[in-house]
Amino acid sequence: MTTLLAFMVGAVLAAVATALWSQQARRRDAIGPDVAGRGTESWSKQAVDALDALPVGVVITTADGEPVVRNRAAHLDRVRHHQVLLDEALDELRHLTLTSGASHDKVLELHGQQSRVLALAVHPLGRGGVIATIIDITERVRLDRIRTDFVANLSHELKTPVAALSVLAETVADLVSAETLDTDERQAVIRLTEKMVAESHRMSASISELLELSRIELEGLPTRVDVDVMSVVCAAVERVRPLADPAGIRVTVRPVEQPVTVCGDPRQLTSALGNLLENAVKYSEPTGEVEIGVVTNDDGVHFSVRDWGMGIPARDLDRIFERFYRVDRARSRDTGGTGLGLAIVRHVATNHAGKVSVTSAEGEGSTFVLMIPHASAASEEER
Amino acid sequence: MTVETRKAFHTQLEDVREALARLTSSVIEEIPRATNVLLDGDLEGAEYVIRADDAIDARSIELEERTYQLIALQAPVASDLRALVAVAKIVGDVERSADLCVNICKAARRIYRHPLDPKLRGIIAKMGEQAQLLYEAALESYVDNDEAKAAALDDMDSTLDSLQRAMIRAIVECASAGQLDLETAVQLAMVARFYERIGDHAVNMGERVRYVISGWLPEHKGAQRHLSGADDTDELPRFPSAES
Repeated sequence: MTTLLAFMVGAVLAAVATALWSQQARRRDAIGPDVAGRGTESWSKQAVDALDALPVGVVITTADGEPVVRNRAAHLDRVRHHQVLLDEALDELRHLTLTSGASHDKVLELHGQQSRVLALAVHPLGRGGVIATIIDITERVRLDRIRTDFVANLSHELKTPVAALSVLAETVADLVSAETLDTDERQAVIRLTEKMVAESHRMSASISELLELSRIELEGLPTRVDVDVMSVVCAAVERVRPLADPAGIRVTVRPVEQPVTVCGDPRQLTSALGNLLENAVKYSEPTGEVEIGVVTNDDGVHFSVRDWGMGIPARDLDRIFERFYRVDRARSRDTGGTGLGLAIVRHVATNHAGKVSVTSAEGEGSTFVLMIPHASAASEEER
Repeated sequence: MTVETRKAFHTQLEDVREALARLTSSVIEEIPRATNVLLDGDLEGAEYVIRADDAIDARSIELEERTYQLIALQAPVASDLRALVAVAKIVGDVERSADLCVNICKAARRIYRHPLDPKLRGIIAKMGEQAQLLYEAALESYVDNDEAKAAALDDMDSTLDSLQRAMIRAIVECASAGQLDLETAVQLAMVARFYERIGDHAVNMGERVRYVISGWLPEHKGAQRHLSGADDTDELPRFPSAES
């Protein structure tokens, strides 16, 4: 699909470039090569400006590889070695195109901190050169991956407990069908039914959170009242207490000098902060600490939840707010979450015209900040 | 008006320099790949990096031969000669760095399914980023003939050295707490060493860039001390002479 798009864009640009090049060549023939020169200086300023305005990278080269024009989007400014690899890939495609006389394309994946995916296509031009188009498809590939992962994750979260329940129920049925049960068999039945209860709770929690997420998505921001921030914080802390206390995790609230209020839905705000706290507790070491702070700035009220637990790998940071996304699938059953908590937080932030952000380092811990704008700012945003 | 002589040779020299930049860029890409292989336990990715090393080896040999051929046939002098000698030396460093990425992937295969402590994972991720950063700076200094950037590489490398020490400390802590078996601990210590060596190769590349521009090499300091018989270094303890 992406390759097809790159091809179509390239074909259109090839036609335009051939026309422009022919025009420039006629001009050069008329005024002589010494005046017109080579490279972009022989192009009219409008033609260069038009190419620079395109979001697609365009490189036109002569048959022997001499650059004729290269627009702004064809320069990968930030990472030098990515530029070198792009040029190398374009050279390869140019060679193939000139040898075969047909268009060639390729998807180039570039790794590292500023990783990106580029769709490259090279088309022959009428006067012997080639035109290359470079389309940044990083975002498209990311969205495709999110969609694929969502289906896989949803299926995993909902089907696993059902499959477990079915197997456990069959085993229990076999055991109790015996006329008499000995002590071992009775113990096995108890153990299996306990597992069945745990699995049904897990399933129930997933469905409840899915419903809560749908409700938050659908209703938007139904209630708009002045909410005392500390009451939200206290309610969220109470919600997480049963999880934190048995593990010896201390939940501390940084004192606030004066009462702070925020305009919003208290239930949604408590749910969001509760989810952030639950995550912080779940991923902290036993006897660790979780700290909540509230800071008021010009833009709004910032709720921060900090832990010193396992942290989040850098590559997962921009994906953790997706539904059912798990940083470590192997641990997901141990921590008992549904994988929807952070998706709920993001929706609450959006409903309040706010935002949620995270900073984290593996092995050092994470800080989540939920920003809810002041009443006037939120109203402006909604208008 | 200066007229450029030996135009064909200078085009060939530029081609060789460009080929080295491309080879280096390919190896820079291997560093985050190898780090991801290690952190994700990605066996397929490990296979890819290991197989890709053959192509790097072939390109290195071809580039080295081209360089020797140019030296033999064109008899370059002064900065042209230094540029070609530098290519021949840097190719070795770059090729060795690709081997170290392969070693990281092989270590990843050996410790497959051994869960890593988040602290260790964090340090590994940072070492990978720093090693890549060093090589990117080395490449930029080479392509731009930037002596100042090349000189800064040595200081940048000390961050990687500190990370290696932090990694060893974390390995010992985890092993003492029973979270790490001996084999995994040894493999991870080796991995830390591999990243540290990648950094050293990037520094070597920077030193060669300085050599091309000014003819300076870090070994000159030691050579000067040796020739003058001066004892102005406290880097190594000296044994008392027999006479004293």
